[in-house]
Amino acid sequence: MSEDLQQQLADLAVNGAELVSAAATLEELAGAEAETIGKRSLVSKARRSLGSVDEAQRPALGRLINEVTETLSRQIAAKRLRLETEGDAERLATEALDMTLPGRVPSRGTHHLITTALEEITDIFVSMGYDVAAGPEAETTWYNFTALNIGPDHPARAETDTIYLDYGPPGEILLRTHTSPMQARYMQEHPPPVHVVVPGRVFRQEDVDPTHSPVFHQLEGLAVADGITFGDLRGTLETFAKRYFGKDRTVRFLPSYFPFTEPSAEMLVSCFACDGSGCRVCAHEGWIEMLGCGMVHPAVFEAVGYDPAAVTGFAFGLGVDRFAMVRHGLTDLRHLFAGDVRVLGQFR
Amino acid sequence: MKLTLNWLREFVDLPEEADGIATVLAGLGFKAESVESLPLEFSNVAVARVKDLRPHPDADRIRVVDIDTGSGDVTVVCGAWNFEAGAVVAYAPPGSVLAGGLAVGEKEIRGVNSPGMIASERELGLSDEHEGILVLDDATPLGVDLGELVGLPDVVFDLEVNPNRPDCMSVLGIARELAAFYGRELREPTVGLIDAPGGPSVTVGDGCKRFVARRVSGVTVGSSPPLMQNRLRAAGVRPISNVVDATNYAMLELGHPTHAFDAEALGDTIVVRLAKPGETLRTLDGVDRDLDTADIVVADVTSARAIGGVMGGEDSEVGPATTEVIVEAAYFHPGSVMRTATRHGLRSEASARFQRGMDPNAARRAADRVAQLLVANAGGTAGGVTDAYPTPVEPRQIDLPLSEIERVTGKGFSESDVRGILEPLGFAVDGSDPLSVTVPTRRVDVDRAIDFVEEIARFHGYDNFGSRVAVGPGYGLPSQERRYRQLRDSMVSAGYFETTSFSFIGQEDLDGLGLPDDDARRSAIHVSNPLRAEEAVMRTTLLPGLLKATAANLSRRIDSVALFETGKVFLPGGEIPDQPESLAFVAAGLTGAGWFDDGRQRDAMDAMGVVERLATDMGMAGLELRAASPPAMHPGRSAEVVVGGEVIGVIGELHPRVASVFDIEARVTAGELRIDVLLEDQLPFTFTEASPYPPVIFDLAFDLPDDAAAALVVATARSAAPELIERIEIFDIFRGAPLDEGRKSLAMRVILRAGDRTLTDDEVTPVRQGMSEEVAAAHDGRLRSG
Repeated sequence: MSEDLQQQLADLAVNGAELVSAAATLEELAGAEAETIGKRSLVSKARRSLGSVDEAQRPALGRLINEVTETLSRQIAAKRLRLETEGDAERLATEALDMTLPGRVPSRGTHHLITTALEEITDIFVSMGYDVAAGPEAETTWYNFTALNIGPDHPARAETDTIYLDYGPPGEILLRTHTSPMQARYMQEHPPPVHVVVPGRVFRQEDVDPTHSPVFHQLEGLAVADGITFGDLRGTLETFAKRYFGKDRTVRFLPSYFPFTEPSAEMLVSCFACDGSGCRVCAHEGWIEMLGCGMVHPAVFEAVGYDPAAVTGFAFGLGVDRFAMVRHGLTDLRHLFAGDVRVLGQFR
Repeated sequence: MKLTLNWLREFVDLPEEADGIATVLAGLGFKAESVESLPLEFSNVAVARVKDLRPHPDADRIRVVDIDTGSGDVTVVCGAWNFEAGAVVAYAPPGSVLAGGLAVGEKEIRGVNSPGMIASERELGLSDEHEGILVLDDATPLGVDLGELVGLPDVVFDLEVNPNRPDCMSVLGIARELAAFYGRELREPTVGLIDAPGGPSVTVGDGCKRFVARRVSGVTVGSSPPLMQNRLRAAGVRPISNVVDATNYAMLELGHPTHAFDAEALGDTIVVRLAKPGETLRTLDGVDRDLDTADIVVADVTSARAIGGVMGGEDSEVGPATTEVIVEAAYFHPGSVMRTATRHGLRSEASARFQRGMDPNAARRAADRVAQLLVANAGGTAGGVTDAYPTPVEPRQIDLPLSEIERVTGKGFSESDVRGILEPLGFAVDGSDPLSVTVPTRRVDVDRAIDFVEEIARFHGYDNFGSRVAVGPGYGLPSQERRYRQLRDSMVSAGYFETTSFSFIGQEDLDGLGLPDDDARRSAIHVSNPLRAEEAVMRTTLLPGLLKATAANLSRRIDSVALFETGKVFLPGGEIPDQPESLAFVAAGLTGAGWFDDGRQRDAMDAMGVVERLATDMGMAGLELRAASPPAMHPGRSAEVVVGGEVIGVIGELHPRVASVFDIEARVTAGELRIDVLLEDQLPFTFTEASPYPPVIFDLAFDLPDDAAAALVVATARSAAPELIERIEIFDIFRGAPLDEGRKSLAMRVILRAGDRTLTDDEVTPVRQGMSEEVAAAHDGRLRSG
């Protein structure tokens, strides 16, 4: 290979780059392109004469020609893009927008706070392997009371506490006062072991005020198997409390009373707002009443056809409305049912 | 239930102060809603007697009083007129302090020197009474410190007592729990009255297992000692007289309700029976009650004098002139008392206790305690007693296998552990394993082995058991729940806000929708006991709730409202009502408005779009929309939603008349669907290869009759070459010149594409031609361009 041609190509790489760089307009750049890599350029000529070059030198020379050509092409393309972009600027300046204006926000609604809370709580239990069930809201007195060991004289059955429907025999069909009837329905349909939660709507005979509503929402839970103990109740519900309110929360269990559990308990969780030191959220108690729970009463097992000597279980129920309100600082239950879009819009 | 710390301490020595005790009580199941201190608001006030009194020489309304303080005589000036010479009063000498920090000094009142003063209840901070001074019982020893006498300072606990523990609705009951917890002795009250003949004749009947009647003679009705009054007030009971207060005090202390009759008014014969048809009674609250034949009454020979376990009668009430009293302590059936109290809307401290279950074996002690108090505070003499208790209630014995405790709690307890917990509570434990436990008759909550487990768990401490997570088999979110969430997500992503409303509506809401009489939504199930007329029936449609919310939003000048709700509607069904899941949505006002656009009013097409989106999101390829004119809807702007040949709902625009009834003047788009079918699992979609070949796109515009249905026109066009048509888009519709009256132009863009080749003109031309001809022929149309 001619030493000379090699040197010329090396010079072209340097001079060509300068030529491209010096081009101030697209026209000048076109001239530079023709001169450096056009048909009449040194590289084109060299490529055409490649056939006559000594066979041993041919590959090396070919690589050099390609290298110089590619480098220059890339430099020209980059320069062209820059010159073109500069040319756009004037036109684009006329299209300027006030970027402080509000954007075109794609339209989107929100989920209701109760829905979100029910889903979130449900998902915590689903992650612990629980099934999810739903049941009727208009329910029989047998499922709502009798199966749950709530005797015929229990005050909760009174019309002052429970909403009854003119349907079937008088006093027979009611709006369920808790999600607990689903304990009985679910056990009747599934042999043990069962692990299930039941989110749902419940009803009580209440006048509407900031803290009372005839309609509210609960989530029921039930775990029944051979060998379930009070320790399972404690551990499962503590895990739930930490998942929902934060892992630094602590819980307490206090004795309580429900006809369908024995022993019965109430679970308190240390206040997430003040960490237990007392504040407005927890009414200066340091603790928030979270849910009612207990070991399933043997009478309930008997009512649904389970053998109370063979299985044990725990059940719990929590009021979702109050839960969500405490968490988000709502102080009036009526907001949940009014459909005011200024309220709904906050439920993100 | 409210009670005080000093009162508890009469029954048990407590090693802790109020806060510690409150914590212990909470751990035992008696959470304190409040713990309030009852401060001694005065100091150095003592008991004194009025020796003499005379008018003030220079003032009409005040008197000069000589008093004996027990350690010397003093003369003070006093403006009260509710006492005479001999009265025992509270004397605040100079240097003493009264409520509100008022320092008492020596001062001259209209020329008469008054070293200190005689105090009223309000000045002492005991009550709001300030009409006169505090007058004490004549027998009160002089010079005694008044603070000691009224039992202050003290602490009031307001305890939550679970309804299964009526035995703890008393100072004694709570003291028993604390004694057991702290391992201290419970000082059971001793009421040393003995049987005496001469009680009234008593006959018991239905619903009354026991009736004790104790006669107390020669009482003088007056006021109770200050300590008793104070404790009653602390417990939330208004002091009335020494006789009535005695019955209330005994009830709060021992737990068993009692009643005092004026013996002369009641007579000598008591019959406990069910009320007779038409029988009436004016109760103590002054209300005339029509008695029900299921009400238990305490009667004389002829008529009812009290409603058993609920409230006494006015005409046998103890009054200022009463001297002879009959004290009643009885046992009434819980269910019967509850029904009576509910029936008459009459709840009393007594009925609250009886309906939870009292101890029939505690009745005698309660009656005697009242008699004892009447002897002490009202100068009475205990007389004859009649105890009608034909079939005494015996304590039950229940077996407790030790293994049962561990099976339920996860922790083993030995026989001695169990005895250590149960015996101090009054359970008698015999045998070894199983233990045979005798249950005191006051413990109405204990009737099987599991109930002992709770006792053991309570006293062991709920927080002292183990902890582990009970994990289920874990099949994830059930598909119905997952699809329900997808459905709500679809609505939210379409711009709708989820709301929720009550499940009951008013009959007039159904009228407002203009539903015909035979519409299924007219068969609303009535609420038997509605609180309000607008909540009289169960909803058969979610629309009224949404329309009301929409109207409320619009009235607040919110110019764009889009709401949806999901939930059950209620229709006649089988044993229980049918309760299908429904989705409804309502929108009104502008959509898409901003500085960049004026927006536009929503119309039926928005409703169509929502459902089309829903069908896509839910994978419901078979969902169709069919033009229809259903009730409540705009007759020309509505459609039925059809899945598998079944109509599952209607969508479109609300009839403007209906909108107006719900106070909405804007155009309202709305829809309601039964969603059970949408919640059913769908087959996974099947992948179709995306063609790499270019499409052929052409437009066709037809001149068609005004009523030609676009969907049918498109379907006809599609039938020309179904395998090649990727999609057909309608891009323009117009009426008017140059078209004839009754005609419209419908322009569509046809996109053809083959999966395996680039289409040629030779293939496309006949498709285009066939399409034009078929549409023209089938729909009375004519190709305008294309």
